[in-house]
Amino acid sequence: MRDAYLVGAAQTDFGSFPDESYRSLFASAFERTRESVPKGLDPDDIEEAVVGTLGVGGRQLGLSGPAVTEHVGLHGIPTTRVENACAASGYAVRQAVQAVRSGMADVVLAGGVEIMTDASGDATKYWLGVSGETEWERLSGTTFAGVYAQMADAHMAEHGTTTEQLSHVAVKNHRNGAKNPHAQLGFECSLEDAETAQTVADPLTLYHCCPTSDGAACALIASEDAVETYTDDPIRIAGVGAASDSVGLFQRDSYTRIEASRRAAEMAYERADISPDDLDFAEVHDCFSIAEILAYEDLGFCEPGEGGRLVESGATALDGDLPVNTSGGLKSKGHPIGATGAGQVVEAFKQLSGTAGDRQVEGATRGLTHNVGGSGGAAVVHVFEREARSASNGASGRRPRASESEVAR
Amino acid sequence: MSQPKIEAVGAYAPRFRVSAEKFEDAWGQFHAPGISETAVPNADEDSVTMAYEAATRALGAAERAGDEIAFLAFASTTPPVAEADLTARLGAMLGVPESATRHEFSGSTRAGTRALDAALSAGPWGGTGDSRNQTRDDETDRVGLVVASDCPRGEPDSPEEHAAGAGAAAFVLSESGGAEILSRAEYAADYPGTRFRRRGSDATEGLGVTSYDRRAFTETLAGAVEGLDGEWDPSTADAAAIQAPNGKLPYRAAGALGVETEAIQQCATVHDLGDTGAASVPLSLAKALAQGDERILVAAHGSGAGADALLIENRGVAAELALDAGESVSYAEYLRRRGELTSGAPEGGGAYVSVPSWRRTLDQRYRLVAGKCPECAALNFPPEGACNSCKTLVEGYEDVELPGTGTVEAATTISQGGAPPEFAEQQAQSGDFGVAIVALEGPGRESVSVPAQVVDSEAVAIGDRVATTIRRIYTQEGVTRYGFKVKSE
Repeated sequence: MRDAYLVGAAQTDFGSFPDESYRSLFASAFERTRESVPKGLDPDDIEEAVVGTLGVGGRQLGLSGPAVTEHVGLHGIPTTRVENACAASGYAVRQAVQAVRSGMADVVLAGGVEIMTDASGDATKYWLGVSGETEWERLSGTTFAGVYAQMADAHMAEHGTTTEQLSHVAVKNHRNGAKNPHAQLGFECSLEDAETAQTVADPLTLYHCCPTSDGAACALIASEDAVETYTDDPIRIAGVGAASDSVGLFQRDSYTRIEASRRAAEMAYERADISPDDLDFAEVHDCFSIAEILAYEDLGFCEPGEGGRLVESGATALDGDLPVNTSGGLKSKGHPIGATGAGQVVEAFKQLSGTAGDRQVEGATRGLTHNVGGSGGAAVVHVFEREARSASNGASGRRPRASESEVAR
Repeated sequence: MSQPKIEAVGAYAPRFRVSAEKFEDAWGQFHAPGISETAVPNADEDSVTMAYEAATRALGAAERAGDEIAFLAFASTTPPVAEADLTARLGAMLGVPESATRHEFSGSTRAGTRALDAALSAGPWGGTGDSRNQTRDDETDRVGLVVASDCPRGEPDSPEEHAAGAGAAAFVLSESGGAEILSRAEYAADYPGTRFRRRGSDATEGLGVTSYDRRAFTETLAGAVEGLDGEWDPSTADAAAIQAPNGKLPYRAAGALGVETEAIQQCATVHDLGDTGAASVPLSLAKALAQGDERILVAAHGSGAGADALLIENRGVAAELALDAGESVSYAEYLRRRGELTSGAPEGGGAYVSVPSWRRTLDQRYRLVAGKCPECAALNFPPEGACNSCKTLVEGYEDVELPGTGTVEAATTISQGGAPPEFAEQQAQSGDFGVAIVALEGPGRESVSVPAQVVDSEAVAIGDRVATTIRRIYTQEGVTRYGFKVKSE
């Protein structure tokens, strides 16, 4: 099968925007995405679109895909809406890659959009839990804060993880987010702030939980036949993996790992023919701070049970061996459910095209995005790799970092 | 003519208490003489859940299962809905056969004794001669179950509210029971305005005409007791279970009834539980039976006014009573828990569970019916879809009713802001609540994990032992969803 490439990606600011609609947010993400394509892109080149959205608040639940693509003038092309909770647009990117690799299309738009802050807090919360197991988990009185709190409780009991380690995740991601102009909570927080904030679901405090957000993000995927039209520095989608599991935590084999993440990562690494050691950075799904610790373990950044100590060591900080969530993550950048997965791809695009500003990982050539739906019912992992084609490596340059892997941790 | 006897008794009162002093602090006075504290139902309790608590204890004491019940009576002046057959709901919670005879009694505080009277007239329920949907073998005698459960309310500044308590008592009746009803009688006279509740109102009221009220009380009770015809005189009773709208009135009737005040004191529950309405006399009777009092006079007074009297000879019944006080609450907490200060559930959107889809799961929510996988023998809960253990889509699960005990595998406490909005009203009333994943045991060594809310603000930790009970989950579209929750064992 032919290769697929990431030729452009951009997002709106994540935050609360009472003056914006889901259409206007998507339109500005799309506009910026076009502008991000190094050699420019004629919208008429786009043959297909995949849009991730949950539909929080019940707005345009049906045909929300065409509703946004027609709005931005992508007239007539097939558009599919993907719903996989918080992994909706991570899966949208995967669908776009599939369409390109299968030969059905040369240029596909993947994106996501969500508006979550224009309703009362209570009304929004009705929608937050909707991707939990509704008939049993929800009716025991939990939304995801409660379910992830149970995972944290089990992880602390099994591995000795501490609340301070949970807080370290927040401190690190806020420090990164403060360098990201698109971040919703772009301020730094101290360990004490995180430790002493009000409890949401014990042991998780407010700083251990991501916010609710409005936002949109898009990515453009092109085939190897078309990629040179758009860029001289192609970013290849080296590997994709995805997996599912029972929707309710109580139905799963383990409360201290996310099996779908493990399977998705294993598949993505295998297809990219790399190991976690080959990564220069990762954007992982940190809806709650425990989720980032679980991600370290599930994605193979450390041994099971070592995630808390890994963040505490500073290894995943911006200047660490493997910077994680350089964008600020869901925690600081924000978590507009349907836009989150595509938003992670935006950060990967920026890091790999050297446009990440103050949070640039020097010499980044290979990065990973990890997007989870609910508490682990769905997960999707992408591995992106910059090909130094303009440095005349040609087709053989797919592993430019093969000899440099020792600089990664 | 043979009539059934009381074989076992169960009783329950909510663990929260508010003291008379707390009312005095708030109001400058306390209008319910003779009451030191009252039982306060939690936000997820009502007369149905308390009835379940008392009934499971009575059945447990009798070592009986729900499918042995041929007759079910439920009595309350405060059924959670004005119209709907709650004996169907309570029956489903207890596993009562669909063909059992059912009665619901309401509208008067003597509803509890009316229910007992109806059972005495209907039984006994032998195992032979009645072939309707018989689920037990013919040799087993079947039983009647009478449950009185009540949580009356009044306007905040009224004597009715100051006295208002909560509790439930349940009686298993059979041919072989150890407490025999020797005689029963009733009496009614029209006394408008003594105790009543207007249509559409939750608050019981009375006109408060002291001498008139007292006459209604003593005349009806004495009239019923006079009608008794037993082998011994009521004045020789060891215990007298007398209607107790407050802690003083039953003693005022002692003279007219010809009983010693010590006999009333012997089995009184009003002082510590408050006015338990239709469960008042049943609770006192439960206490007397449980403590082995031999000669028991029962005299219940009902709103409006009527009275029932029974003479009971007790040679020993099985009993399980859970009437002990737990936590004391302030007056403000009391108002919160009873829903006086909260504004109801917020307008909703997602995560809707329709009533028909809810009903599909009642066997699981009430009776913990899990399923055994025919491929790998693992337990599944709920028993549907592919097996959680071997992931095989199996043909059908074998029903396995779980005993309702288990161990906490993971737990959290949901603070304000962390609860789904459907639970916001409950949380506003009773505060933070725990939610655990619990490995519920099967009949053998196997277990199955379920998510469950922890009742009464208890904190549980990994490894703790818990047991299931039934509480209100939430009310949507006016329909209350009941289901299992857990408490520390």
